[in-house]
Amino acid sequence: MSVWNYVVTAHKPTNVTHSCVGNFTGPQELNLIVAKCTRIEIHLLTAQGLQPMLDVPIYGRIATLELFRPHGETQDLLFIATERYKFCVLQWDAEAAEVITRAMGDVSDRIGRPTDNGQIGIIDPDCRLIGLHLYDGLFKVIPFDNKGQLKEAFNIRLEELQVLDIKFLYGCPKPTIVVLYQDNKDARHVKSYEVVLKDKDFLEASLSQNNLDNGADLLIPVPQPLCGVLIIGEETIVYVNASTFKAIPIRPSITRAYGRVDADGSRYLLGDHNGLLHLLVITHDKEKVTGLKIELLGETSIASTISYLDNAVVYVGSSYGDSQLVKLNLQPDAKGSYVEVVERYVNLGPIVDFCVVDLERQGQGQVVTCSGAYKDGSLRIVRNGIGINEQASVELQGIKGMWSLRSSTDDPFDTFLVVSFISETRILAMNIEDELEETEIEGFCPQVQTLFCHDAVYNQLVQVTSSSVRLVSSISREMLDEWHAQSGFSINVATANLTQVLVATGGGHLVYLEIGDRKLTEVKHAQLEFDISCLDINPIGENPNYSHLAAVGMWTDISVRIFSLPDLNLITKEHLGGEIIPRSVLLCSFEGISYLLCALGDGHLLNFLLSMNTGELTDRKKVSLGTQPITLRTFTSKNTTHVFAASDRPTVIYSSNKKLLYSNVNLKEVSHMCPFNTAAFPDSLAIAKEGELTIGTIDDIQKLHIRSIPLGEHARRICHQEQSRTFAICSLKYNPSSTEDSEMHFIRLLDDQTFDFISTYPLDQYEYGCSILSCSFSDDSNVYYCVGTAYVMPEENEPTKGRILVFIVEDGKLQLIAEKETKGAVYSLNAFNGKLLAAINQKIQLYKWMLRDDGSRELQSECGHHGHILALYVQTRGDFIVVGDLMKSISLLIYKHEEGAIEERARDYNANWMSAVEILDDDIYLGAENNFNLFTVRKNSDGATDEERGRLEVVGEYHLGEFVNRFRHGSLVMRLPDSDVGQIPTVIFGTVNGVIGVIASLPSDQYVFLDKLQTNLRRVIKGVGGLSHEQWRSFYNEKKTVDAKNFLDGDLIESFLDLSRSKMDEIAKAMSVPAEELMKRVEELTRLH
Amino acid sequence: MWKEIGKRESGELRPSLFCSRIRSSRAASLQLSNHKEIVSAHRGSVNSLQVDLTEGRYLLSGGADASVAVYDIQNSTHCEERGLVAKHKSIFVIDKQHEHGHKYAISSAIWYPIDTGLFVTGSYDHYINVWDTNTTQVVMNFKTPGKVYRTAMSSLATSHMLIAAGTEDVQVRLCDIASGAFAHTLSGHRDGVMSVEWSTSSEWVLLTGGSDGAIRFWDIRRAGCFSVLDQSNSQLGRRPPFLDHSAMNKASTSKSSAAGQSSSVKARGLQRKAANGNGSKQSTIGRVRSQVKGSMKPRLHPGLLSSQDRATAHYGAVIGLKMTGDGMYLLSAGSDSRLRLWDIESGCNTLVNFETVRLQTTKPLQLSLTQDSALVFVPCMATAKAFDVWSGKTRLTLRGHYENMNCCWFNAQDQDALSRKGQAALDEDNWSD
Repeated sequence: MSVWNYVVTAHKPTNVTHSCVGNFTGPQELNLIVAKCTRIEIHLLTAQGLQPMLDVPIYGRIATLELFRPHGETQDLLFIATERYKFCVLQWDAEAAEVITRAMGDVSDRIGRPTDNGQIGIIDPDCRLIGLHLYDGLFKVIPFDNKGQLKEAFNIRLEELQVLDIKFLYGCPKPTIVVLYQDNKDARHVKSYEVVLKDKDFLEASLSQNNLDNGADLLIPVPQPLCGVLIIGEETIVYVNASTFKAIPIRPSITRAYGRVDADGSRYLLGDHNGLLHLLVITHDKEKVTGLKIELLGETSIASTISYLDNAVVYVGSSYGDSQLVKLNLQPDAKGSYVEVVERYVNLGPIVDFCVVDLERQGQGQVVTCSGAYKDGSLRIVRNGIGINEQASVELQGIKGMWSLRSSTDDPFDTFLVVSFISETRILAMNIEDELEETEIEGFCPQVQTLFCHDAVYNQLVQVTSSSVRLVSSISREMLDEWHAQSGFSINVATANLTQVLVATGGGHLVYLEIGDRKLTEVKHAQLEFDISCLDINPIGENPNYSHLAAVGMWTDISVRIFSLPDLNLITKEHLGGEIIPRSVLLCSFEGISYLLCALGDGHLLNFLLSMNTGELTDRKKVSLGTQPITLRTFTSKNTTHVFAASDRPTVIYSSNKKLLYSNVNLKEVSHMCPFNTAAFPDSLAIAKEGELTIGTIDDIQKLHIRSIPLGEHARRICHQEQSRTFAICSLKYNPSSTEDSEMHFIRLLDDQTFDFISTYPLDQYEYGCSILSCSFSDDSNVYYCVGTAYVMPEENEPTKGRILVFIVEDGKLQLIAEKETKGAVYSLNAFNGKLLAAINQKIQLYKWMLRDDGSRELQSECGHHGHILALYVQTRGDFIVVGDLMKSISLLIYKHEEGAIEERARDYNANWMSAVEILDDDIYLGAENNFNLFTVRKNSDGATDEERGRLEVVGEYHLGEFVNRFRHGSLVMRLPDSDVGQIPTVIFGTVNGVIGVIASLPSDQYVFLDKLQTNLRRVIKGVGGLSHEQWRSFYNEKKTVDAKNFLDGDLIESFLDLSRSKMDEIAKAMSVPAEELMKRVEELTRLH
Repeated sequence: MWKEIGKRESGELRPSLFCSRIRSSRAASLQLSNHKEIVSAHRGSVNSLQVDLTEGRYLLSGGADASVAVYDIQNSTHCEERGLVAKHKSIFVIDKQHEHGHKYAISSAIWYPIDTGLFVTGSYDHYINVWDTNTTQVVMNFKTPGKVYRTAMSSLATSHMLIAAGTEDVQVRLCDIASGAFAHTLSGHRDGVMSVEWSTSSEWVLLTGGSDGAIRFWDIRRAGCFSVLDQSNSQLGRRPPFLDHSAMNKASTSKSSAAGQSSSVKARGLQRKAANGNGSKQSTIGRVRSQVKGSMKPRLHPGLLSSQDRATAHYGAVIGLKMTGDGMYLLSAGSDSRLRLWDIESGCNTLVNFETVRLQTTKPLQLSLTQDSALVFVPCMATAKAFDVWSGKTRLTLRGHYENMNCCWFNAQDQDALSRKGQAALDEDNWSD
């Protein structure tokens, strides 16, 4: 790999951090706005459910998200503040259907200690000011003027140092905040202050309450007319206003999120750490609060946000499990729950660990993640491309074509499958037992190859062979009419729809037939100058049975032409360029836009926008799908039409956001495909591949596919063992029922196909599984699972005892072969020169696998290396060991065979708190650190002095904005040896927010080119809220901020493809590269993930 | 630790909070390191210690034997006792034999804050020397009228390169490295100046503590000091009652006219002065530049009443000053064996009662704070004590020296504390957990 890295997101963040409800896109429209760390999604609430409107990246990690409505506005504005102290106010522009920036700014202070408990951003309910608590001891105020514009910000000193929550109170003549804080003696109190704008200072207000519940950490301000504030603790809930104090005890729980149900604030939904949803009711007599009531509603995912939408429908956003849309019923169900889950939104976060495996052995990686936490823990299998779930298959050699036919025109299902071979045609049909069985249609000619088949109106079928077109009744199955080609000219290609047939014979003859009741009529004949290579008359106009346009691909001049029907007049001729003839053309329409797709013999695909009125072809784009000729076919899945491109790299073409997308199908080579929608196998496809005919259903059409395996416990570490075809995980199960938080820790063995637990090894009390590895040792052919553990005693700050356990899988069971006690937590395990390398607290320790006299094996310590604060992350390559320290960045160790010792070779002297490391190549190491940055360091073996050689030089720096938990070498896409991107090595990473990303090492020239493109894109693509991309990607920690170097933001570069043509041209001009070329290069890059 | 790492992995613990928790737990469990030993090159007491601010790797020490030494505290020079004890020998020593070396004890040795290419030493021989680290040659020196007690450079400064020097003389001198001359002299103290400290929130603000017991605040762009801390002013934690407050504010906002100045100042009195400090400080924290133009400063200085001007922070000399990283609090040590915590905005003595300490009184002391400002390390005779800054309770007592200690340094990067003994040092100790 190289120092020039390209970072791109394969799976966007899914961890919901904030959500709010309001009238953002229109005065009458109710919107749900969801923040997923670095993205915001705007949804519209409709009768059908939530309808996505916009999903945009924010150049920052969202710290606060609030909707508010200044005086005189008819709809809400959105306030966003980021963790790097930028804020913006966004407004919806209904005409352009995009967000515009009303205001933006920077609220950072040069000095000040960032708050430990996270940033707080709040807006006065009467819209007089915005309050921010960003630094300990300071409260920043951004006042609004009379017109709702923001004025200059200022700080007010806040004496409370440990602030837990701040909220604005409702119904106060002056803006008033209520502060929940902890004092030096760890007691919690509530205080309130009036903000005096004129003096830029606070005035103590009357509401206060001392010595609250020790777990109190959430305030809920109650709107008018009740006013006051609710203080949510772990054991009590308290309501306070100037005159009233009410409290109720609750079952011990930590409330993570709340959502207000009624505008008057008398009911609230509370979500706790176990995922239980409660309803809190403030009982009141007019404006006087008489008491509090709380009721358990049911269970949801562990909520991080709760937004009450409308009509008892609630959005539950989660950080630890899938987010949900739930309905609250008036009556409990059989289990006593009032909660009904209407919809789930997949969330991979937090990805604590993952492994890259090739379970289907197709040469394509899949990622298996440990996702979720607590009860929502799960394994997720993430793979790129669309899967075919095989339902039946028959061995059949030499298939030349396939079509499905119905037994009558009105039949919703297909009955027959016509399979054509070089010298015969066979017909298969589903029998009563749902088996495929050979049958006959008497009217068809079975002794020759069929060129085309189709259903026709009036319960008829059409078969085209090289000599004739036959019209057959689908009921009597007898031939009704036949049209013969001119003698001497055989039919080469043909196509048909329900009412039309178009055939091309040798010598460039094009014949157009129409289908009548029991009758074929030759309507028009045209003589073209060259032979015809492919045809299509797929009806995409208003009439689903009849097409006004015909697409024709030509030999010799390599062109594609559009003819009008029925008069066969040439409308458009488009030369394709090059020497490769078109092999398949297809008229199709996606999301109301008509396209002409044209596949070439070398695996390239051209697409054009097709004007239905004029037949004009515009906006030509070319992509490479494979290397072999492509056959295009449409099919329908979930009521949407897609196109299947059969070739050596089968691809599904679909459209999303009015943009064509290509998703590869997880099959090796497909020669032909046709939809085969039978009653027994609805929405199925018949697929011809190497000597086999398969019937299967297709996954949802989207790029990444995620399968969930709910575990009900929290998986922390995972690894795969090829030999035993198993996964092993370290997991912990919480026991919420018992009073103390008791946890049980396990090593579990899972089958890699079914993902069932097949064996479990329970760990001791207080023993945690910290690391897991599948490896083998020198002079021992067995493959073992090695597990590193730690005994985490409640009274100990740092574990002082742990174990290394060595298991073998026998008969699907975990058998403990050896165990070795260690003097600390085993944070990492690596296979190293046929030995086992463990990171134990401050130490790196090497163990060898020794044969004892009695034939049993044991781990024996060989050598070690001290000198780390905590060696948390270790990777090895050859004799080199790269250690990611808790707080001392990366160091490089080397194992010396002769001396049997490990020595330090070099280190990075920066104080980076590491979260993951990986070795990119012999000299370059990649690290992720605590402040969401990535960096690379290089070994400086040619340094002149020891000092230089002993220093790892920082060569790349980049702000990712995501907390990376793990890097792994591998790829999510199938690697084709002949494509350019196939040669680019990649590393996959997984983050807390559920992002799966890819880091690709580019060659130098490509990096320079893309860097220039990125610079140009920054000028054209403006960040939402006016946030700067350059600043966002700059490396940032407490000590320094420096521009990103040697890393490129692939997400920005790939957004080039979403630009309008004029903007593309603008960039192409600035780059002095044709737009086509740019597009091609960027499309190549999208193949990396 | 493992639990914390697990919580960070699952996103339950914010990474920044993870850091501060680990830091404070490491700071709270400091012990004398058995694995690391810094071999002192000094034949007398060590008066000053500093680890460089850029890499946290090089330790600079200044000794009473007029020598100054630099150590690499990350890479050991050799190991002893079967590799268990890593010894760190000095990279170089400059002593009296050096042609430009100091003649008498070095009281202060500090790194140039931007890189390790320069360092500054101040000595009882009245000279302040600026050294080039690579060549170990003096590139510049300044002659002061008395013994140099303390030197300081601002780590924030972007527009000046001034060394503030506290000497026997009543005037504080600012030595400009750029020009090689004294840029300013700051007059106000009535006795020698034992401690100087630059503000951590503004590059223009300097704090000095004198043998006269006063702690003065200077804005170096203006003449005179703008604030003097008064130990009897202790009204922290009370927002002024409503009426009084607004009246006061009216006064302070309306005084832009020069004529109204004296009257408004008078009206303010003692407590008002605190509020003034508040106003000016606040803007220092927020937007330094814009605030400077405000009307507060000039009004403050000429009007500083003689009674205020005479206020003292300690009975006896102020021997050590340390400002918290966020620039909101100041810790001072006095020869009255007291530590005081000051709220800088209001200029109030917070009255945190630091458990009785006995401080050595004749020399300036070097205090140090942990990164989150939760613990302050104070050399108390033969031990270093770590106090909780907010409650004043003793959290740690670090024993390891046989003689009195003068200085200590907390290395934020690795959470190691270093401390140096007074007389005849045997070796210097490195504290880590």
